[in-house]
Amino acid sequence: MRTLQTNIIKLSLVPLVGFLIVCISLGYWQVIRAPALRAHPYNDQAQQRAKSIQPGQVYTSDDQLILGVRQTPEGWVRAYPAGEVYAHRTGYDYKTGLSQGLHQALLGVGRYENFWRNFRNGRPTGLNVILTLDSSAQATAARLLRGKRGAVVALQPQTGAVLALASAPSYDPQRVLDNDIVYEMFRSDPASPELNRALQGLYPPGSVFKIFTAAAALDAGVANPQTVFTCAGAETIAHTLVKCRNASGHGRVSLTWALADSCNVTFAKLAEQLGPQRFRSYAKKFHLLDSAKLCLPGKSGKMADVLAYKGERELVQAGFGQGATLLTPVAVAQLAATIANGGQVIRPYLVDSIEEFNGRVVYRGRGQHLGQAISQQTADQVEGMMVVAVEKGTGGGAAIRGTVVAAKTGSAENPHGPPHAWIVVLAPAHQAQAVVVVVVENGGSGGEVAAPIAREVLKALLR
Amino acid sequence: MARAIRVVAVPGAVLAAALLLDLIKGHRDRFLLPLVALLTTLSVIFLSRLDLFLATKQIMWVLMGSALMVATYFLIDDIRTLARLKYLAGGAAVALLAVTVLWGTEHHGARLWLSIPGLFSFQSGEVAKLLMAIFLAGYIADRGSVRQRPRPLAPLLLIVIFALALFVGQRDLGAAALFFGLFIAMLYLGTGRKGYAIAGIVLFLAGAVGAYYAFPHAAVRIQAWLNPWQAPQHGGYQSLQTLFCLAEGGIGGTGLGQVPLGNLPAASTDSILAVIGHDLGLLGIVAVVLLYTLLCVRAYTIAQRAADGPGGPQARAEGSFGALLAAALATIFALQSLIIMGGVVRLIPLTGITLPFVSYGGTSIIVNFIAVGLLLAIVRDCGPPTPEHRN
Repeated sequence: MRTLQTNIIKLSLVPLVGFLIVCISLGYWQVIRAPALRAHPYNDQAQQRAKSIQPGQVYTSDDQLILGVRQTPEGWVRAYPAGEVYAHRTGYDYKTGLSQGLHQALLGVGRYENFWRNFRNGRPTGLNVILTLDSSAQATAARLLRGKRGAVVALQPQTGAVLALASAPSYDPQRVLDNDIVYEMFRSDPASPELNRALQGLYPPGSVFKIFTAAAALDAGVANPQTVFTCAGAETIAHTLVKCRNASGHGRVSLTWALADSCNVTFAKLAEQLGPQRFRSYAKKFHLLDSAKLCLPGKSGKMADVLAYKGERELVQAGFGQGATLLTPVAVAQLAATIANGGQVIRPYLVDSIEEFNGRVVYRGRGQHLGQAISQQTADQVEGMMVVAVEKGTGGGAAIRGTVVAAKTGSAENPHGPPHAWIVVLAPAHQAQAVVVVVVENGGSGGEVAAPIAREVLKALLR
Repeated sequence: MARAIRVVAVPGAVLAAALLLDLIKGHRDRFLLPLVALLTTLSVIFLSRLDLFLATKQIMWVLMGSALMVATYFLIDDIRTLARLKYLAGGAAVALLAVTVLWGTEHHGARLWLSIPGLFSFQSGEVAKLLMAIFLAGYIADRGSVRQRPRPLAPLLLIVIFALALFVGQRDLGAAALFFGLFIAMLYLGTGRKGYAIAGIVLFLAGAVGAYYAFPHAAVRIQAWLNPWQAPQHGGYQSLQTLFCLAEGGIGGTGLGQVPLGNLPAASTDSILAVIGHDLGLLGIVAVVLLYTLLCVRAYTIAQRAADGPGGPQARAEGSFGALLAAALATIFALQSLIIMGGVVRLIPLTGITLPFVSYGGTSIIVNFIAVGLLLAIVRDCGPPTPEHRN
């Protein structure tokens, strides 16, 4: 019976360990995870509690109120003083837009819960959020996009601060909330006004992507701005027929002029020379396919697997931004900001600071440095080529009197109709203070449709 | 005042039973009944906080349970005679489950209840687990060590697989897990081979994967467990509410009944532990887990002492029945608490199984009290002679 006795003792150790694990898990949920769970959006009690908390407000960097609060007999209610200009930022209820993305900060719960702040104020209060947005650039962008479908993104290239973030069509959050018929129309609108195109719209980048191919090729030493290519107007490269916008061909063309006049054949050849390995490694260094982390829902870009079987066909098309390559406007803006910032990749940020009602700052945002994608010299060369594009090439529509502007246009072919009009602008060249990206869905020519919008937004930013 | 009487009634009843046992037969266990009194009192306190009607009914069950515990203790003259009834017990367990699968009443997608029209209804699985403990203990004690003769394992396996199939037929996966765990534990005690236990656990995991694909009911539960945040409106709802409830309690708790609960489903049964965590916080709930730990340790101690019973080879073989039965009951208490606790803290999928002595439920309370009565009888009949009783 000795063995039975020892077996019983050994067996009894199993539940002991089990109870210990249960205690540890209880500690995990009740202490470590408790703040997040107490503020979880699905937690009804958190929602109840939230009604008694005075939530914070959201401002632009120049102190324009874009998401306010109003006291009603039922509790605190959101107000949307900026209407449709900021609709994709504010959202239209607590489950959309920044109300959701900054939920914990605005209510001062979860990660931002602070016993002493609530004690000082005598009641739980939220926190104010100041965004990096510039209200005049934002208003300009929203005005110029009205009646179109598209997006505008503006960045401060050295810091990564988002200066403008507009998406059209937009909506008036208050009207969507107040009127059921408006809400139903808003939700079923085929133009999807709810979609934040700047972060969630995936578009073929078209010719604006040539700045990536150029930067990668220059940095890898495959070519220099003076390297001469030949263009016959339409050529078969890697079993793929590539057509140039100039149907009669550019003839002998330098890389600089190929970028300025947007020669597809040259960039197809350049991508082929660069090869799939280096193409992919530069895409990674530029963090092209990262999704933006701006406290708002966003999508990450897509790119064909250029290393796969018959990947060279994809590679050739990706060289001029067609094929399976799809990017969001904010990803294109990050690419341009990398050129403007001497090759340093910086992840954009939208929240400048989070403050208590008395102005004490509890959080300050900054752009995360993601490393050097290309050398300073390469970045300068690409920027120089983009200046030529404005002075003599397709980007003339972005020129501003008294400022050297660098730009790249694009007219991206897509299965939904006329090409998407793109432009990437940075100014002043070689010491850029702002990068602006504009996309107009099915807008046609980038130089004609997108360039004027970018110019006005840039003017508002440089003022 | 009424509430005070309510709360005093329960430990009073259990301790009165203890006193009764003490006076008449001089029982030798000083830990089990105080622990049970503590747990049932907690149960009544928390049920009063949730639903006074349920609390009142629970008091009735506790009183009935205590009476049946005392009756069990006195009616069983010698616990070792129970060993003779092992096949009857095993057969009854299987029959009970089969009848429930065929004619039981369905609640929340699981068929667990057997009702005798006009009289009463009960959860047959609870009764079956006790009968199964008697069968397993009797069978293993009878064969002595299974190690020498592996063939007798076959009928054991058969009856257990049958019972398991019935449980799965009832869609009560918590009980199936309890059953399987009990079987593995008893197999280990009988053979002393860890290999059996490991093989059993692997078999169980394979069964769980099979259940995932075979039964939509199980798949929903497992998906809700793996990712409650994805589908909070569907299966994940209960799990999420349970966690919110625990988080609300934090370290110190919100105070007994001070703050209203959210929408916690099955608060009085499956999720009562979350209510305790909500009101008493981490400190209180860990204390409750410790009570269960003590209960299980005590039950295993009884088993271990019974294994060292009165001398003589014949007496030893009979004594091992007491030890095995006590170990089986201890394992049932341990597994059942762990399955529901693990479900509440999301270590394993949440299943509908009661927390012994604390969850609301007539059958559960009565069966657990009878189990305690059996444990006390084992102490009486199989324990080694202690100094004060050595005459």
